[in-house]
Amino acid sequence: MVGWVLIGLLVFWLVVNVIKEPGEFFNVALIGLTNGAVYGLVALGYTLVYGILQLINFAHGDVFALSGLFASTVIISLFGLDESSGVLVIVGGMLATLVIVMVLFSGVNALIELVAYRRLRHAPRLAPLITAVGMSFIVQNVSLAIYDVNYRDVPNFIPRTDVFSIAGVHYTWNKLAVLMITIPVLALLTWFVTSTRQGKAMRAVAQDPEASAIVGVNVNRTISVTFAIAGALAGSAGIVYLLQFNMRYDTGFELGLIAFTAAVLGGIGNLSGAVLGALVIGFIQAFNEGLSWNAPGSDWTRSIVFGLLILILVFRPEGLLGERTPEGA
Amino acid sequence: MKARADRLLALAPKRARMLALPLALIVLAVFYPSYVESLRGITVVGDFVPSLGSMVVMIVFTMMAVGLNIVVGYAGLLDLGYVAFYAAGAYTSAWFASQHFEDVSFHFGAVGVRSDLPGIHLSIWLILILAGLFTLAVGIIIGLPTLRLRGDYLAIVTLGFGEIIPQFVRNADDLGGFDLTHGTFGISPIDAPGFGTTLSDVLGLPASYQQSFDKVKLFYLTALVLLLFTVFCSVRLRDSKLGRAWVAIREDETAAAAMGVPLMRTKTWSYALGAFFGGIAGAFYASFKSGAFPSDFYFNISIFLLCMVILGGMGSVWGVLLGGMILGYLNVEGLATIGTKLNEGGINFDPTKYQFGIYGAIVVLMMLFRPTGLIPERRHKREMEEGVHDQPLYDSTHE
Amino acid sequence: MSDLLTATGVRKEFGGLLAVSDVDFAIPQGQVVSLIGPNGAGKTTFFNMLTGVYRPTAGRILFAGKDVAGKPPHAITELGIGRTFQNIRLFQHMTALENVLVGMHCRLKGGIITSILRTPGLRREERTARERARELLVFSGLPGRDEQLARNLPYGDQRRLEVARALATEPQLLLLDEPTAGMNPQETAAFTDFVAMLRSEQKLTVLMIEHDMKVVMGISDRVTVLDHGEKIFEGTPRECQHDDRVIEAYLGKAATQ
Repeated sequence: MVGWVLIGLLVFWLVVNVIKEPGEFFNVALIGLTNGAVYGLVALGYTLVYGILQLINFAHGDVFALSGLFASTVIISLFGLDESSGVLVIVGGMLATLVIVMVLFSGVNALIELVAYRRLRHAPRLAPLITAVGMSFIVQNVSLAIYDVNYRDVPNFIPRTDVFSIAGVHYTWNKLAVLMITIPVLALLTWFVTSTRQGKAMRAVAQDPEASAIVGVNVNRTISVTFAIAGALAGSAGIVYLLQFNMRYDTGFELGLIAFTAAVLGGIGNLSGAVLGALVIGFIQAFNEGLSWNAPGSDWTRSIVFGLLILILVFRPEGLLGERTPEGA
Repeated sequence: MKARADRLLALAPKRARMLALPLALIVLAVFYPSYVESLRGITVVGDFVPSLGSMVVMIVFTMMAVGLNIVVGYAGLLDLGYVAFYAAGAYTSAWFASQHFEDVSFHFGAVGVRSDLPGIHLSIWLILILAGLFTLAVGIIIGLPTLRLRGDYLAIVTLGFGEIIPQFVRNADDLGGFDLTHGTFGISPIDAPGFGTTLSDVLGLPASYQQSFDKVKLFYLTALVLLLFTVFCSVRLRDSKLGRAWVAIREDETAAAAMGVPLMRTKTWSYALGAFFGGIAGAFYASFKSGAFPSDFYFNISIFLLCMVILGGMGSVWGVLLGGMILGYLNVEGLATIGTKLNEGGINFDPTKYQFGIYGAIVVLMMLFRPTGLIPERRHKREMEEGVHDQPLYDSTHE
Repeated sequence: MSDLLTATGVRKEFGGLLAVSDVDFAIPQGQVVSLIGPNGAGKTTFFNMLTGVYRPTAGRILFAGKDVAGKPPHAITELGIGRTFQNIRLFQHMTALENVLVGMHCRLKGGIITSILRTPGLRREERTARERARELLVFSGLPGRDEQLARNLPYGDQRRLEVARALATEPQLLLLDEPTAGMNPQETAAFTDFVAMLRSEQKLTVLMIEHDMKVVMGISDRVTVLDHGEKIFEGTPRECQHDDRVIEAYLGKAATQ
């Protein structure tokens, strides 16, 4: 009952804003969409790992941050992309960066699983969770050691000029680039999980590891592959994030929690749920920070996201697309 | 010579033997102020001896770790938001022992404070009790909706609260015009404890810490008393009916409920009691520092405390005391001293910058190689080494 | 003889699956009742509804005058229903004595303040509790095992410990879920005698899920048969052996032709 009232209030607030400032509303919505795409990439990493191990990999957000920072080095120092680079150079450079970063961080993430989590597979549930928290700090400090406390960003080699501008609603090239990278990555992931053998193995292990092992699935390798994919996703997210924002060693913490909330909102373990949840959170954040009529503002974004997380976990832990598990033993 | 001593010791009744070590440590601790400066005077090693002021901070954090141990170690609930209780306690001090509420003027039992000073000024001793009870209530409120969640979800939700409360504290200087926490500026100064002139004349107790010659020593001894109180309660709880219920819940929730253990109530009590001690520690610390600032409360502190519990040994009071003092020392003085020494030796490395990476590494290494901690709790040693078989990481029955 | 527990129209659906279908079931006081049926008949599901692990989709369960359907497990235990589990769920890293002490949880009064202060009243209560726990262990055939870890006990002793722990909750109705599974004939015979003693000396009412027909026939005052979630028979053990529907449920239609 209360839920419906709150949703009703939310809809009312949105409608008022649309009516008052429609141009601003759609601009903000587009921002939400773009951010949601980035969150989606990171949320998928959380949800993939959770689906297969029931583990919240706290370190995932920090892997994302490290990958973004590393990508900035690749872009600036290796390929030297900047505003003056030609289109072909930019496209080629971006593709190469994507490949390099995704491959490297798939390895990094798989390594983290091997080193930190594998031993604890049969330990009580608390143990790998605590280890993940520790790992999060270690990865963060690696970023700190290499890149110090400064913010890093990349030159605007993808310009921030408009792709289109209709009735005050505009969308910039760098934001479009975000979508242009995210959508193929998501498509690739979907293909992999649904159509390949390894993808089927992943789904099998997520459902029943023992049965999977009995029918010949190499559970260890499947888990490694899952972590590798999550790492690659984090890497791609890092690059895409840089196209709009700057990063530093602790960017991963907040973004990781936002992405995790998105995964839970959509239904933890559910891939489409992660994307859906990410879009919803992207919109919520954008509306909160961008709308002018009675918006709480960016000071309260963290609280809103956490509050939402708590509400979901308490009242609807299976999220939007998840299945309600039967009560009882 | 040692053999004779060993035999003599073996003859003493078991009770006396069990108390010998704790008593010795307490005596050493009580007299620390007298010999700390001589220790610090020793060349080379002396620099590593913590100062009295540092000891107060170490003891405060250790006290919080003992409180957290009740939640994580005894009841097996992963709490990643303990900093919220610390903040609740600190702001209780801030509200009732400062000039923050300047429109009111209410004094009760406060010492060393001019009677015409605005604001609420209660006796710090009263505030410690208030803070404990207030934080206990906060713990119950947070616990009621969240403790029925599964372990990993509970961890996230506690993390959420641990984040929301500091953010709230930072922004709560304009709640519809009312200034609750004075925002990013924090609330300061905060009164110091004291026993008042009557007790001072009769028992020789210090009338007012603030106006005392050895203020830090007084705070140190008080901190020690508070820590002992926390340890005492913790041990008694562990060996009580409630303590057994916590272990039963850790082992097998369903069976525990079938045996009549009310799950929600029992878990909430662990949370509330952990909060209680955290609140007292926070209130005391705010008085010691004479201020409560939002910058003191951040997520990493919750992890820092968790690290103490893990390093020392989940569920083991001795272990947590050791872990707390070690990590507390590193945080307040140790890492900085190491850094200085390294610099003197030509190595340009600042350990304090990477302290959370160090704590994280400690956590990971401990979980991988010695999950039972430096001083394992008897039961946990067995649980971890052999696995709790009805809760595998692979939940093949998919509850 | 009055009924200690009366279940009326009890039904449990899991999504589309109907596990227990409108079962009426009464347990007379002071008797040993066996609940039998082929695997998947819904016996443990029914048990779980009696003990609060599942909430019935429909129906009432009256125990000692109260409707316990949907109450949480610990409340039902407090009202006087104790149970053991099909696959032993002892507190593995607690000693036998501690396991039994946990069973006494809802009967002990010790609170937080009294525990911290260790008042004389509390110390007395703890002492008495420990003595009673020891007595229960001896009564259940586990003398001297107090300080042994539950997980180190041999299988048969673990089953006894489960019973001892359930008895510690001071039940009026004791639910035993396949108590003799995995026992050899001697152990089974000893256990049957034990249940008989619970009925005659302790005046307990017992409901058992059992597969071992020797036990069922040997000790039950009454037998109820479930098949595919429905009650298909209720009567004396002797009548049960000759009932067509029961035979068909276990052995198939051909057996009755």
